[in-house]
Amino acid sequence: MKAADLIRLTGENLLAHRLRAILTTLGIAIGIAAVIAVVAIGQGGEAVLLSEIEKLGSSRSFNISVDWMRGEAPTVDTFKLEDVAIIKELSPAVDKLAPVTSGMMIAIRRPQSQAKPVLSQLIGTTPDLTAVMNLPLASGRFFSQADVAAHSRVVVLDGALAEMLFPKGDALGKKVFIQDVPATVIGVTEKQTSQLLGAMSMNRYAFAPITFVQELLNTRVIHELDGVAVTDEAVPQAIADCIKILEKRHPGTSVHYTGMSMKEGLALIEKATGVMTLIIGAVAAIALLVGGVGVMNIMLVAVTERTREIGLLMAVGARRRDILQQFLAEAVALCLVGGFFGVLLGAGGAWAIAHFAKWPPLISVWTVLLAFGFASFVGLVFGLYPASRAASFSPAEALRYH
Amino acid sequence: MIRVEGLTKIYGHGPAAVTALNNVSLEIKTGEFVAVMGPSGSGKSTFLNVLGCLERATAGRYYLNEREVSALDEDELAGLRNQQFGFVFQTFNLLPRHNILRNVELPLIYAGTPGKERRERATALLARVGLGHRLKHKPPALSGGEQQRVAIARALINNPAVILADEPTGNLDSKTSYEIMGLFLELHAEGRTIVMVTHEPDIARYAERVLHFLDGAVVREEVSSA
Repeated sequence: MKAADLIRLTGENLLAHRLRAILTTLGIAIGIAAVIAVVAIGQGGEAVLLSEIEKLGSSRSFNISVDWMRGEAPTVDTFKLEDVAIIKELSPAVDKLAPVTSGMMIAIRRPQSQAKPVLSQLIGTTPDLTAVMNLPLASGRFFSQADVAAHSRVVVLDGALAEMLFPKGDALGKKVFIQDVPATVIGVTEKQTSQLLGAMSMNRYAFAPITFVQELLNTRVIHELDGVAVTDEAVPQAIADCIKILEKRHPGTSVHYTGMSMKEGLALIEKATGVMTLIIGAVAAIALLVGGVGVMNIMLVAVTERTREIGLLMAVGARRRDILQQFLAEAVALCLVGGFFGVLLGAGGAWAIAHFAKWPPLISVWTVLLAFGFASFVGLVFGLYPASRAASFSPAEALRYH
Repeated sequence: MIRVEGLTKIYGHGPAAVTALNNVSLEIKTGEFVAVMGPSGSGKSTFLNVLGCLERATAGRYYLNEREVSALDEDELAGLRNQQFGFVFQTFNLLPRHNILRNVELPLIYAGTPGKERRERATALLARVGLGHRLKHKPPALSGGEQQRVAIARALINNPAVILADEPTGNLDSKTSYEIMGLFLELHAEGRTIVMVTHEPDIARYAERVLHFLDGAVVREEVSSA
């Protein structure tokens, strides 16, 4: 049989039971739509997250810490302020390096104000951090090396945090209490435009000289070193140099120094969000499976109803494989039409959800091809049993069937 | 043309087994018009099904043009049904969803004949059976006699050597039956071999030879004087 004849017969056969075909198609459409929507939203979200994190810092940046995965935590002897200067001196691969002592959930408030303190993340560091993180200033200045040396009680507020504390926008030069220690606001960064990071509270930062923060938090512990390599290619060398020098300077340490580049970090996030998309996608695929069962059910009904017809087709010369092919084609056609409407429905749904979540859905050609591939696969799998049943009839028996 | 030797067909196994054909041996010559008669359950339809390769005999040999059919595989049998035989059934067995032109074309679709040639041949045959003006009608819109004419046109589309008819007038009134028999006589005059199962004696009279089946065997054979 020629392909054109097969397609025409398939169309005529399916149109003979319009309502039945539409309902079966609907099951597949919903399954495909669910898969498409999940993948589109997942990939869109991942793309937005990655681009926003990329905006936060330099592609040359890296981070030196201890092995958190093994449950290690830095101690007073893990990183020293002098280490930073020595590494910058010894390693030609390292361009900038900033020690960081940070405190989470630090209450910051205005003096003589009844307003509730804002819980924020206090970052004690050196001016080198401005090369690692992207911190454009809206007003004022970042603190200098001299401020660090002098233990100056100054602070640079993130734009969003400044707005919470000083809604009128007059933060610069004002005093704030950081856990009851007064400090002067010398700079305010531009507000992060990212809704996503805002939602994750990744925008309530306060930056201050590390010497001041260590006094304030009453700790000598440096949590990590954040640096920038001279070039993109020098990042691994910079990390290796840092670790080597740190190990040499702290031979008795019980911790393992570890380094991670920005790129590795992004890859990790990509992997995590990819796994999330996969898991939700698998749940969505269950809807498709249910649709496939619907196809199988309706094809079994069709085979039973058309038993005599199958006998007749065999009597006029249809081979078993012609019968198999005919019923498979009908199952796949149902799924492909369902797939088509599923893609439209899924794209619309993804767009609607993303519209409210404020990130663009990402529907690639691959997603659409995958959906159609998946749809025809479902058609083949769930059509195979009914079709092979149809093809297994003996012509004489099928013609006798009532 | 057709020769069977010791043809036997048994349905089922063990004590429930039913012998539908019991050691039938006979020959049908090219161009012969043979009627097969007998009470229901006598094996006449089974005989026709085996001749038409719709089912296989349990034992015995079947030669079509000196070719042993029992040795052929499924696809070769499908090819034989497509090329050598034209079937006419009591219940017509037309596809109700497709118009009568498509119904008549059907065997050619499986033969892989191009669409243009298919339509030309089907149109010509439908004109010959007197339905040239109703090509786009679907079978349910036609009378029983008209449906059987469509089925005969379908049986002829591949220009088969043998027409196998199972009670072709069983669902028709007597006037229509005689019209259909008129068509069969035309086919016979063209030199086609016809094997027709019937239980009506006045329909069997149209044939040259009548085989009487009883309990799966040919018990009597009569040659018509006409």
